[in-house]
Amino acid sequence: MIPLSYIFIFSSLLFVIGVFGAISRRNIITVLMSIELMFNAANVNLVAVNRIMHPADAVGQVLALFAMTVATAEVVVGLALVLAIYRKFDNVFVERFNLLRG
Amino acid sequence: MGELLLALTPGIFVIPVLAFPAILFLGGKLPCRGASIGIVGMGICLAASTALLVMALMQTLHLPYAWNFPWIRFGMFEVPMGVYVDGLSIVMLFVITLVSLLVQVYSLGYMHDEPRFTRYYAFLSLFTASMLGLVIADNLLVIFACWELVGLCSYFLIGFYFEKPEAAQAGKKAFITTKLGDLGFLLGLFVIFSASGTFSVAHLEDMVKAGFIPLGVLTTVAILLFIGAMGKSAQVPLFVWLPDAMEGPTPVSALIHAATMVAAGIFLVARVFFIFEASHTALAVVAGFGAATAILAALMGMVPEDIKRVLAFSTISQLGYMMAGLAVGGPEVGIFHLTTHAMFKALLFLGAGSVIHAVHTNDIWKMGALSAKMPITFATFAIGVFALCGVFPLSGFFSKDEIIHAAFAAGNLPVAVTLSITSGLTAFYMMRVLVLVFLGENRDKHSYAHAHESGATMTVPLVILSVFAVFLGAGMTLGHLFERLVPGRLVHESGSHMTTLTVALMTSAIAFTGMGSAWAVYKSKIVSHEKLYMVLNPVWHALYARLGFDHFWLFLVRLSDKLAVAVAWFDFEVFDQMFIDCFGALTVWWARLSAWIDDNLVDPLVDLQGKFALLAGALARSTVTGLAQNYLLYVVLGVGFILTLRFYP
Repeated sequence: MIPLSYIFIFSSLLFVIGVFGAISRRNIITVLMSIELMFNAANVNLVAVNRIMHPADAVGQVLALFAMTVATAEVVVGLALVLAIYRKFDNVFVERFNLLRG
Repeated sequence: MGELLLALTPGIFVIPVLAFPAILFLGGKLPCRGASIGIVGMGICLAASTALLVMALMQTLHLPYAWNFPWIRFGMFEVPMGVYVDGLSIVMLFVITLVSLLVQVYSLGYMHDEPRFTRYYAFLSLFTASMLGLVIADNLLVIFACWELVGLCSYFLIGFYFEKPEAAQAGKKAFITTKLGDLGFLLGLFVIFSASGTFSVAHLEDMVKAGFIPLGVLTTVAILLFIGAMGKSAQVPLFVWLPDAMEGPTPVSALIHAATMVAAGIFLVARVFFIFEASHTALAVVAGFGAATAILAALMGMVPEDIKRVLAFSTISQLGYMMAGLAVGGPEVGIFHLTTHAMFKALLFLGAGSVIHAVHTNDIWKMGALSAKMPITFATFAIGVFALCGVFPLSGFFSKDEIIHAAFAAGNLPVAVTLSITSGLTAFYMMRVLVLVFLGENRDKHSYAHAHESGATMTVPLVILSVFAVFLGAGMTLGHLFERLVPGRLVHESGSHMTTLTVALMTSAIAFTGMGSAWAVYKSKIVSHEKLYMVLNPVWHALYARLGFDHFWLFLVRLSDKLAVAVAWFDFEVFDQMFIDCFGALTVWWARLSAWIDDNLVDPLVDLQGKFALLAGALARSTVTGLAQNYLLYVVLGVGFILTLRFYP
């Protein structure tokens, strides 16, 4: 059995990679993908904790499935936005999207 | 009846007060151009005063009558306003209303052609009203107010012909000179109020009689009040305004000289005589000034050629008698002379007015032999002259005799002798006027040809006054009536006890000597007056120049003028130029320094605050990039920071 801490380290790494990608990538598609990485890190945690601490139930797995479903819906919305932005700005580089600038 | 009349005494004051605006504003539309109001009003006042006088003589009145209401309140002090009527007030009321009424009737004829007739009557009413208020007032503050009103009206009436520069000057002179005396009055009021806390005559009398007020204060107050009386009653050295007051209309002179203005000073001294009585020093001062006034004015009265001016000096002289009489004999003696003098002096002035009206000149050398042309004026004027000279049994004899007798009884020999000599001088100059105006030959054909007896409005007052001038003295003295009205004869232990008869014989002898010498000089010319004039030239000139009193005051005025100029120079050059301007310059320098500090130190500090805020704003704004990734970074960093704080304490 893999110890829980290993899985936590793995998911943390996955999350940090996601954060790093979300902050540092220019391409908005990549940013969306990095956000998916962060989602997955959370899902890994859900599944692992459920599997190791309460093997009898599958609550964590079910929750992970729900999360994936919701994330998928979000990605749909996000990609739709990306499409709209692309049509408006003619590119996909996030540094151009500074309409919120004070 | 008596009580009712006494309660109505304020009305005697109120009627002429109301007559003043009534005549002034409605006069033009009324019969006699407003004179009717004045005369009818004064007639009512005279009737009331006569009734009061008769009842006071019959001793059916409860005197003194006092009534007042609160007027001014300050702190714990209260000054009431009200009336205080005693025998003295009643005598004065009678004299004032009688003379005023006769003067107003007389003026109907005398002022007939005057364009400012209405205004003249309005001021006559106000003048009389202020004097009436003065004699019935119950406290010194109200007396002072009326006193000033009298002064104001005298200014209006003396300067009535204000187109004439002399008249305008004379009005100013009278006003300012009497103001000088009023200063004394005012100071006296301050002193007496600070010593006693009351202005009320009755309260003051009680306090003085009880000895609550120290002698030094009483003497000071008495002398200060006497200075006030000096101004109004034309005593040496403040008499200079009175001869010039002749510039006013002649009936006004009669009013001023007999009843209103100059009587005010005598009345004041009589009203507060209890203060004078308490201080021998004050009495001696009053007697001295009175006697000096009497003789100096009599001397000055020997020389003028203006008939009214002779009468003016005679008034001053007689006022001196009254003051001396008050001081040596008390109110009874002094006020008695005031009363008789009012009658014959009004008579003389109105007679002089009648003459002037006829010949249109004041110069006695341009008159003469008018007795045939103006028999009534001559007869009444002669009665006035004899009364003033003190010929038995006319009224002047009794009152003047009383004064000289009292002076001997008081043992005040200098005053007694001075007054006796003065009566000789009085007889001389009055006889001189009588002879030069009515007897002898006419020296000016033109004026003689036009001379005529005056109309009834002018002669009737003369006749009435001459009746009083003849009988008042004898009646009052022989019937012992006057002491019922104004009791208060001073009793002296020491002093020579001359009998009344001795004094009477002596004064009569002196009077006849004076009259005889005048007759000898101006009528029978045993000693020609030209020769006398040559011999006495320097004396004559000195007297004509009023012994330099005018020059003395003029000198003082010029001196104070110079002083004022010097003070003004000092003020401008030293205070203004040096101190004030120096402070001004310092202030400007200080202001510049402040402005520099403001510009260079305070303003940059304020700007710095603004700049700091701008800088902080720019700094903060630089974080708001609008890039979602940056915000995400902040979130990460923030969470990291919080976690660091949480786990690494």
